[in-house]
Amino acid sequence: MQVEMIPGVKSRPVYTPVTVNPRSQRQIFIAQDQIPAALQSLYDGCEQGEKSLLTVVTTGAAAAGGALSIDDLAQRVASLPQSSSFYLAGSEAFMWDIAKLLTDAGFISDQIAMLAPLSKERRLFCTHCYTLMDHVTHSPHVCSGCGRALLVRDHFSKIHRAYVGVQINAEDPADLPAAAEELS
Amino acid sequence: MSEGLIEVRVASVADVAPKIREFRFTPVAEALPPFSPGAHVVVEMPGAGKTYRNAYSLMSDPFNPENYGIAVRLQDESRGGSVFMHTQVKEGDVLRITPPANLFAPHWAAKKHILLAGGVGITPFMSYLPEMQRRGADYELHYLFRSEQTGAYRDELKKALGERFFSYDSDAGEKCDVRALLAQGAPGTHIYICGPESLIHAVKAEAEAMGVPAGFIHYEEFAAPKPGKPFTVKVASSGQEVAVSADDSMLEALEAAGVEVTNMCRGGVCGQCVTRVLEGTPEHRDDFLSAAEKSRNDCVMPCVSRAVTDSLTLDL
Repeated sequence: MQVEMIPGVKSRPVYTPVTVNPRSQRQIFIAQDQIPAALQSLYDGCEQGEKSLLTVVTTGAAAAGGALSIDDLAQRVASLPQSSSFYLAGSEAFMWDIAKLLTDAGFISDQIAMLAPLSKERRLFCTHCYTLMDHVTHSPHVCSGCGRALLVRDHFSKIHRAYVGVQINAEDPADLPAAAEELS
Repeated sequence: MSEGLIEVRVASVADVAPKIREFRFTPVAEALPPFSPGAHVVVEMPGAGKTYRNAYSLMSDPFNPENYGIAVRLQDESRGGSVFMHTQVKEGDVLRITPPANLFAPHWAAKKHILLAGGVGITPFMSYLPEMQRRGADYELHYLFRSEQTGAYRDELKKALGERFFSYDSDAGEKCDVRALLAQGAPGTHIYICGPESLIHAVKAEAEAMGVPAGFIHYEEFAAPKPGKPFTVKVASSGQEVAVSADDSMLEALEAAGVEVTNMCRGGVCGQCVTRVLEGTPEHRDDFLSAAEKSRNDCVMPCVSRAVTDSLTLDL
């Protein structure tokens, strides 16, 4: 996977420019809901191997115009050869969900490339009640499960495909910062 | 290195192939620790004038190690270790070994495991198989050997593994089609190789040509340090100068001179013995440092690497 880790916060993924692996027999490009220009141009420039450009629907709308559901995608990847490469585009949470689907199917992280996430939104994992929350943009964030104000850490958990949230100022939870900070 | 060693008694010695001898070790004091499939120990061999230390894979059932089994192939270009084991070690002897360490564990997330053994490279898989059977894992063992020299345990393996066992006796003209083996790989099939460098290279090259990512290929090669031209190692902290003869490794020469260097696999794989180079140019022979690290020439793996220059000053 072309994801490196930042020194200091070792667990936060860094998304480096993606190039096509010319040795792969199958080249699979996967976008969330709509195909962003960066993925389209990567697909257009791919000249080696048999290529496919797939869209996966995550908005709850019915899959239309050849778009796939997550289950469709799982079925589709099951028949791919070992010599396949995957190029993912969408939100960070979407790309890691797809990476999980692929590794569950037996592929390894070396075969999975992620483009830069399309937004700064994070998926947050509450370490107190284990609730997962999507679309988190500010810290602290009030947990939708237990109501605690969570400090959104830069620590990314690959298992949960989410950033870790811990109760802010645990000694005195009533003592909150004056303003929430926008996440980068 | 002497701290933490385990004393073991040689309980049995048996020839299991024309050039392979099996040794079973039982504990002298406490029970032997359990280990994980693919683990090895380093056996200390007090030869006349020189102490040999070689790494050998453990062949016992990892979770029930009543004894530790190793198999030693008499090397054609032995540096003394395998000759010592074959000619000097007798039933009842007491030897010292390191606790088990593992650089070749199975990738349990794999959906299928293809084990590729070359000659005495069957040994790590002898500890894989009981655990693979316990877990109901999907696996195949492909065993390449020369029946005039190696091929230990093939009859019992054939009996125990049935259709999962494939053997190729090159002395009988039988060849393994590596390409066909790789081509059947569905996603989730991982390949494990233990054998000579040529076998490992052949599989890696074939995988690369087929576009199979390197992460599916796992291998272990305990290449003994190869000889080279003599040179001198300077120990920066003490100013001590240690001569490394053509046949000794830098690590062995340092140990013989009483200089302790942390180490584990002694085969250029694990990275434990990495040492900073202050002066001189190393001749890198390891499989641990990246190409970029090697080109900087500011560190060296004394277990297998040597020197281009007449002397090498180490930050020891």
